[in-house]
Amino acid sequence: MRNYIIKRLIYSIIIAWGILTITFILLRVGPSSPVDRYILNIAARGQDVDSVKQAIEARYGLNKPITEQYFSYMGNLLQGNWGWSFSASMPVLELIGSHWIYSFQLILLATIFAIILGVGLGMLAAVKQNTKFDYAASIFSFIGISIPGFWLGLMLILVFAVYLGFFKTYYDTNYPIWSLENLKQLILPVMALGIGELAGYVRYTRSAMLDNLHKEFVTTARAKGLPESTVIGKHVLRNAILPLVTIIMFDLGSVVFGGAYLTEIVFGIPGLGQVSFNAIFADDYAVVVAVTLIGTFLVLFINLATDLFYTYLDPRIRYE
Amino acid sequence: MSEEKIVSRGGIKLPVHVNRRLVRYYWDRLKKNKLSLAGLGFIVFLALLGTFGPFFAADPQHVDFDVKNLPPLGFSTQESIYDIKTSTFTTTVHPGRPDHPLGTDSKGRDMLAMLISGSRISLLVGLLATGIAISLGTFLGVLSAYLGGWADNLLMRFTDVMMTFPFFLLLVLIVFIFGPSLTIIVIVIGLTGWTGAARLIRSEALSLRTRDFITASKALGASDNRIIFNHLIPNVASLIIVMATLSIPGVIMAEAALSFIGMGDPMSTSWGTILNTGQHTLDTAWWVAVEPGIMLFLTVLSFNFFGDGLRDAFDPKATV
Repeated sequence: MRNYIIKRLIYSIIIAWGILTITFILLRVGPSSPVDRYILNIAARGQDVDSVKQAIEARYGLNKPITEQYFSYMGNLLQGNWGWSFSASMPVLELIGSHWIYSFQLILLATIFAIILGVGLGMLAAVKQNTKFDYAASIFSFIGISIPGFWLGLMLILVFAVYLGFFKTYYDTNYPIWSLENLKQLILPVMALGIGELAGYVRYTRSAMLDNLHKEFVTTARAKGLPESTVIGKHVLRNAILPLVTIIMFDLGSVVFGGAYLTEIVFGIPGLGQVSFNAIFADDYAVVVAVTLIGTFLVLFINLATDLFYTYLDPRIRYE
Repeated sequence: MSEEKIVSRGGIKLPVHVNRRLVRYYWDRLKKNKLSLAGLGFIVFLALLGTFGPFFAADPQHVDFDVKNLPPLGFSTQESIYDIKTSTFTTTVHPGRPDHPLGTDSKGRDMLAMLISGSRISLLVGLLATGIAISLGTFLGVLSAYLGGWADNLLMRFTDVMMTFPFFLLLVLIVFIFGPSLTIIVIVIGLTGWTGAARLIRSEALSLRTRDFITASKALGASDNRIIFNHLIPNVASLIIVMATLSIPGVIMAEAALSFIGMGDPMSTSWGTILNTGQHTLDTAWWVAVEPGIMLFLTVLSFNFFGDGLRDAFDPKATV
């Protein structure tokens, strides 16, 4: 078991290194330079552009060959130095430190919302198989899967913020994270991000439950005279949970990387998605590489945690 | 009823059996799923609209500020103008006009023409990018399974890296570097979207490889190429078709999301581009954000329904 974890960790580091290298090369080989933004200001003031550009590039080592830049970046990274953000004029780690919480709260709340409602609805649909409720849940999940999250966000703003006026149309960072106002303004983003996930969970929970609902051990449990809630909750659900965990964990990766970014943009939430998009447009390679790296590690960690969680859920599973 | 057709392969004329009965059998099974048929119907409608529509519709990029923000037929907007001289408000009602049945956006561009242009782009991007991704995935999957050993290992590790790569971030990054054009978008989605297909096809091909008919053709002296193209690929064909159908909606959504954040091809009008304009006029012209979203949603829903029906039709175990 310990060997397995160590092997997986080494493997994760290799994958993360691969992704880091690809991102770094893509960004540094591109035609524009992070200094370009500075240069615009300087050109506007009528100063000599070339000498200033060379001075800045020399100071940050941007004029060296790309391989040398790569190794010095890697060296710094291994010593815990994540580099300097040119567009925000602060260390990358500080920039990420002040913005991660906005992404985290959104992803956390949306995931909780989707898991509780999705698994709940899916269980009900399976128990009430072939009833009107089941069909309604099935149609709802098809709609939820097919609706683009960012458009759903726009529609929620249109109906609940513009027409009904229940919410503000923008995200207000003046509210503290732990305030009720902040929670209230997160309702729409959480729905926009969570409904797609929720719809998927309804579908998977339903089919995972149905796979087990007609097995013999369920009949046995009923024959023993156990109440229906115990049969469903303890016998069926526990056996259905393994495939569900895989789906949910796998989805979390796509939420972190895809949906949350777009939701942040639609609602103007200043999370890591916004930060990395702005960084791409400003050619701020250190920020982009850092955000990509953090996200990648998160996904790899989730994968590992899922695999280890299996051994707890199903003691028959052993890793060598 | 099996029909013989003569095709030429490498200069030698060979009879090929086109099994009409099999196609008929799958079609009969598919027909029983009404939602799937409805999905297919909408896809055909969209294809006709995208192919022939632009020849009849107005120019989607034609700007005319005289008719800006016109509502769709059956709706009307109110405009209040304050007259300083008489200090009175005059309220004019702008009803929808038959020459712009779906309204116009804030620059007076015709919504109907833009939606038609968008359906062409969405389908084109969806089909081409999926085509590239699925061909590449099939090729790499079969190759990996067939070669085995270190080549298989290397290919699968590379697949792992690509799978962990934050897809949307990579998309934005590459489009930013190479410039927003439809060709680049199609190529990037195609070159990054093959991982799922490669894995699935590989595992399917691995289990096929040990089957007797493959061993038999090997014993008869069939070349590797022949085994791959005449035995392995036809046997995973149904899997490939279902996979392709179900990955088209993801591609369409990715293109829409990209255009929505302002990284679409500026030379063409796609649904995402319209949504990008529409998000700023939610309070004055809701239809600009609503209409392309509905098209996008219906398209994705149709492909999901159709793909689901196809999967059931191809699955001998499923009851339809």
